[in-house]
Amino acid sequence: MSDGGKRLPPITRRGLLVGGVALGGGVLSLISPPPAARLRPPGALDEPDFTRRCIRCLRCAEVCPPGAIRFATSFGMAGSDTPYIEARSRPCTLCMRCTQVCPSGALAPIDADRTVVGAKVRMGHPRLDRQKCIAWQESGECRACYYVCPYAGAAVRLDGRQLGPVFDREACVGCGQCEEACPEAALAITIDPRNGAPS
Amino acid sequence: MLYQWLRRSCLALSCAALYVVPAWHLARLRGNGAGPAAGSNWADLAVSAGVPEMAPGIVGTPWSFRIFGIELLDPLAGVSLLLTGGGASAILIAILPWVILAALLGRFFCGWLCPYVPVLAAANGLRALLRRLGAGPPDLQPDRATPFVLLGCILLLSVAGGAVLAPLVYPPAILGRQLFSAVFYGGVGAGSAVIVLAFLIDTFISRAGVCRWLCPGGALFRLLGIASPVRVRRDREACDDCGTCDEVCSLAQSPMTDGLDSGCERCGKCVASCPQVALRLAAGKPIAVLFRREPLP
Repeated sequence: MSDGGKRLPPITRRGLLVGGVALGGGVLSLISPPPAARLRPPGALDEPDFTRRCIRCLRCAEVCPPGAIRFATSFGMAGSDTPYIEARSRPCTLCMRCTQVCPSGALAPIDADRTVVGAKVRMGHPRLDRQKCIAWQESGECRACYYVCPYAGAAVRLDGRQLGPVFDREACVGCGQCEEACPEAALAITIDPRNGAPS
Repeated sequence: MLYQWLRRSCLALSCAALYVVPAWHLARLRGNGAGPAAGSNWADLAVSAGVPEMAPGIVGTPWSFRIFGIELLDPLAGVSLLLTGGGASAILIAILPWVILAALLGRFFCGWLCPYVPVLAAANGLRALLRRLGAGPPDLQPDRATPFVLLGCILLLSVAGGAVLAPLVYPPAILGRQLFSAVFYGGVGAGSAVIVLAFLIDTFISRAGVCRWLCPGGALFRLLGIASPVRVRRDREACDDCGTCDEVCSLAQSPMTDGLDSGCERCGKCVASCPQVALRLAAGKPIAVLFRREPLP
């Protein structure tokens, strides 16, 4: 051992400068304005516990059968490269695989059982704009949302003269299949994320 | 030399896995009529219809890997989680293999498994070419405490921001995500800009600058491996001070003057390069120096 020794690192001016710049930049990006909320995959912990746990490994996206789980790099560091779902283009199929591969518990494991999923999963809540809905506007028959809903009858039932959908906020798991199925001309359904997930 | 062959095989395997694992998953999903780009009737895949169960044996990247039920987690991820309050005993178990290996072999990960190594090799190649053309780029030598200051900063920010931030700046984690993205979605994201920046730093500013001065994972492996009993040893009688070993080392170690610190990645390139066969990797008294203050001789 020629030099060095077990000295603790002394604090140098350059070290302070480097640290200061890194910390400053980090703080700036952490406090940058939170973007619009997005759907988290099923089993996601409430914010901010989710970002506390997610290590951005994207294993959830790797096993997602429909490829619904996406991620994006953003300047808001806390939410950058964390998983989200855009139901309108690719909804969740409720297979629960993502919850079973998450290494850190950011997605809590849930059994791929119809009853369990129906009881535990609440990705978001459905919102219907009757002004846009084909059935409620009485401009035709549709029922697309009802036919694709995994919990049809509970989460959505049909009502009125043209059999327009009525959603049950409490029974809906928020998978977004109805949002995707809703015809282009209408786009009357939106799933509001349960979590205020930063994008 | 068997050692180099073994090391290069590990590196090749680690790099290939970043592509092969997502590609395998994608092929598997497509085989089921699913996958991100396959046109499919979502209702058919829904839980009511039942997805054919195919438990994936291998998922993830070295950042977070599961192989047939065994979880492996990068210590940087583990330490971040423990600090942000997301830690549990499962996290400690998952980082244990890496912690034990690092305690024995120092920052071996950087020379044996890090998928950034090919990028670094390309940067070093370009540096050599530029030098031959008479436009040798500078080799900036910041304060040697820099990587530890930056590791502290990123962990501090993670605690303050309530988010695990290390994977946003840790090259192997970024590379894993970018390759995954390329395979699954046919394009890379903004994270690849960080890799390009790292390549430019390594080429034009400082040799292996990212590994030596910036990488938080490298700094953590150095701390974990501070008492590693495996080190490069020099036979003073045989050594003729030619300096070849100091020249081949990417990480600013000086085997010729026994000037080693925790930055040694046990890659063994100095050993393989020694014309006098005066160097060897062997058990011995730990280097136990976090960093040397003096610049290279």
